[in-house]
Amino acid sequence: MALNLKTPQVETRDQRLGTITQWDGRAGQLVKDSAFTYGCAKGCENGGRRLCEQSTPFAQASMCAEHIAVTNATIIQDSVVVQHSPIGCAASQSFTARYYRDLAARRGWKLEDPKSICTNLGEQDMVFGGVSRLEDTIRDAYERHKPRVIFVATSCATGIIGDDVDGAAKRVEDEIGIPVVTLHCEGFKSKHWSSGWDVIEHGILRRLVPYPRTKQLDLINVIHLGGPDVFSPLLNPLGLRVNLVMGGNTLERLAQMSEAAATVTMCFVLSYLATGLEQEFGVPEVRAPLPYGLDATDNWLRDIARLTGTSDKVEAVIESERARIAPELARLRKALTGKRGFVAAGAAFAHGLITDLRELGVTVDDAFSFHHDPTTDSGDPQQDSLGHLVDAWGDIPNYTVSPDQHFQAHAALLRAKPDFVICRHTGTLAVLAGRMGIPVLPIFYSNDGLGYEGLLTIGRAILRVLPRKRFYEDVAAHSSFPYQPWWLAETDPYAPITEPT
Amino acid sequence: MLSPVTNAQDPTGAFCSSPGAIEQVRYGCSLGALASVIAIPGAIPITHCGPGCATKQFHALSGINAYQGGEFHVPSTNLGNQEVIFGGADRLDELIASTLKVMEADLFVVQTGCIPGLVGDDVGSVVRRYQKRGVPIVVAETSGYRGNNFTGHETVIRAIIDQFVDAGDAPLQHGLVNVWSLLPYQNPFWRGDLAEIRRILEGIGLQVNILFGPASAGVAEWRAIPKAQFNLVLSPWLGLSTAAHLEDLYGQPFLHEPTIPIGAKATSAFLRRVVAFAGLDRARAEAFIAQEEKEHYVYLRDFACFYAGSTSQYRLPSQAIVVSESAYNLAVASFLVEQLGLNPGPFVISENPPEELRETIEKQYRALADQSGAEAVFEQDGKRIHQIVRATDFTGELPIVFGSTWEAALADEIGAPLVEIGYPCTDEVVLSRAYVGYRGALQLIERTYTTVVRASTMA
Repeated sequence: MALNLKTPQVETRDQRLGTITQWDGRAGQLVKDSAFTYGCAKGCENGGRRLCEQSTPFAQASMCAEHIAVTNATIIQDSVVVQHSPIGCAASQSFTARYYRDLAARRGWKLEDPKSICTNLGEQDMVFGGVSRLEDTIRDAYERHKPRVIFVATSCATGIIGDDVDGAAKRVEDEIGIPVVTLHCEGFKSKHWSSGWDVIEHGILRRLVPYPRTKQLDLINVIHLGGPDVFSPLLNPLGLRVNLVMGGNTLERLAQMSEAAATVTMCFVLSYLATGLEQEFGVPEVRAPLPYGLDATDNWLRDIARLTGTSDKVEAVIESERARIAPELARLRKALTGKRGFVAAGAAFAHGLITDLRELGVTVDDAFSFHHDPTTDSGDPQQDSLGHLVDAWGDIPNYTVSPDQHFQAHAALLRAKPDFVICRHTGTLAVLAGRMGIPVLPIFYSNDGLGYEGLLTIGRAILRVLPRKRFYEDVAAHSSFPYQPWWLAETDPYAPITEPT
Repeated sequence: MLSPVTNAQDPTGAFCSSPGAIEQVRYGCSLGALASVIAIPGAIPITHCGPGCATKQFHALSGINAYQGGEFHVPSTNLGNQEVIFGGADRLDELIASTLKVMEADLFVVQTGCIPGLVGDDVGSVVRRYQKRGVPIVVAETSGYRGNNFTGHETVIRAIIDQFVDAGDAPLQHGLVNVWSLLPYQNPFWRGDLAEIRRILEGIGLQVNILFGPASAGVAEWRAIPKAQFNLVLSPWLGLSTAAHLEDLYGQPFLHEPTIPIGAKATSAFLRRVVAFAGLDRARAEAFIAQEEKEHYVYLRDFACFYAGSTSQYRLPSQAIVVSESAYNLAVASFLVEQLGLNPGPFVISENPPEELRETIEKQYRALADQSGAEAVFEQDGKRIHQIVRATDFTGELPIVFGSTWEAALADEIGAPLVEIGYPCTDEVVLSRAYVGYRGALQLIERTYTTVVRASTMA
């Protein structure tokens, strides 16, 4: 199904991909029931059934798409983000600033606070509209910082009152002569915050990627979530240069994307951009399963080599990398074999981490994914990361899909009794695990587990946190959670919520 | 220039006009008062709002603001398309019912966000059905467009007092005080500070409903509010409307102390005013004050060795710039100017206090150190705050900045050390540290001059 880049609003993941956020069962069953094999549509030959989302009347605070879209717009260099919203949406400015300053230090950019301004809508604006205030703020953003691009992000409030944000952006854009890119990211529009990735990628594709003047045959786009460049050491030996995008960009990097020879994503949740680049500019998307674990990394490199005409070099790279990490990998496997791990992260990234853990000899019978996409934008079964994981490494008996719900995570952890938890997002899961007495490895920069080196990075990090059990057990013994006793004992995240007996 | 709009805030909350666009945001929205509910031991907020609203507020106010942590497993309707179109009252009903089955609390506070305010959910009637059944639950209208977390805090307190606290026929308890002071989580040091405030008030013979934080007995203290002899408002403006409301309800008098005391001089003077107001046993209070001062001044005597003598190689600051919400701003400015002998720089108040209370706040500054020229400036936008500081005359002075993380680059630019005292505070990890009272002053001095020494030795 083609992406529609004509409209400023991106179709949500819920609509495009049938994304669900609630499910519990064997991972193998979820694979069967998902669209890649889509049993029902094709007569249920594989024993699959229509993918049914579970439900629960209770819910706890979650994240929103606006948060993702605005964060990722803010960390683009030479930009100003205008949040057209009441002040609360802009509460994220402080942590986005920390994130940006950390990226700037790692990437050698000028150490400064990123620029974002909130229109700070009040009740009067809710009644009379906030468009003129928005236009003034965009002009002021330009005057204050002379940026090269301005992003305008919507909010639940402006979505509901119906401000013509695109019209306002266009009018001021004509005046000031730089792109004013609208990001339609009202939190209520999608069940899952990962829709925010599509919003920012949609905006970039529509407005910041020009038609290529030339092709750079040795340039490969790498779409990632942020963090250190672990890709160049893998791809430079093939004679390829990495154009690292998302998770902090210069506008030049974004503009070059259409000139590249190919695009890879380190997480298929972010593949809207890759699919769009292929559709609009003919830049092919590498669809091989993600490079987690030795075999998948070998095959991922081979696929890139095939697409970039560098197959003659790839086997030597694979051989030397495998040899390089072998002694340390053996040490880590020895230390970790028999340990029980619990993985909690967003879809494809969770699948990658599980592969890493299994490659390291860790037992993973339980996992927690913040959402589930039954397909990807390309629709290519190669990108079925969960299916690939189950085929290559066996089933996961307890696979929970939940939008980071604390009460469900409590039940899942009680069921799993892991030796450690590895998770992305340091919100609910990390602190919960710690307070249940379980050492936790939170991952902020999600490139840590990629490729050959990633196995070592993850393995070493787990060994660093295991001794903290001494601290967490002490805390657990002296704290409690405000749940009813029956829920504190519950091990089924989707147990019916009825009157306590 | 940003759009010219008025600072006027209608105290009824109706048709509030926004104070204009803001860069470098220094507070949350009304819904952010969920942090105040979390700060009450035994209370849980139930949030009726979009996905992301509650998480963002708590993460901003706690997660990255001095890394305070706290119990965040807050029920939320996470409103979606369906509720925006068809209304969300039924979903809230379902959420409250299931919350009561799963969670355990002494008090639930339903807080609304922007969406139910705009689509017109009748939240009150949903909650009233539970109240009629005897469920300890209240509702507070905290749509994000109606104010910030300071005003939301007062809305939440008002809701608890009016809908939960029962005056009953409890006899007045002489010597019991309700304390309305720092905004929990917004101020990174509120936990340690409230503990110190409780300690010194108990020291002079009071019993204290401190109401928030680890030093509070939780909901039991809230139930005891009507029994108190008086209310103590210990801040320039926050809490005043609560105290006035309690005066109306229960005839409780209140004492307004705009300046939170830091250091022995200010703290002893404050305690003596409380003793006089409450008619406490003077001898007992003086004995406590004497013991506290004795200990305190031994530390100051020893600090004087550093301050006077062994420091000629360090650039000891001479001029204080404070950028923060008013409560800490006034407290810290007073301490630095009156007790440490620094010159006043710009004192920028960043939380948008109500217009009608600004004149009284300004007076407090003008009265500092025999009219030493201290001035309060009200400004919320980071860009303009920094322009104000840059425009200051530093001739012959060595400035020091007390502010938020947003002031890091500015402090660097003007060659001043930075001590983080307000939101956002992302370069400090704060547990029980206090900066107020007798003991807090010593910690503030430690932090300040450690920063000064580091700036000299690590440059």
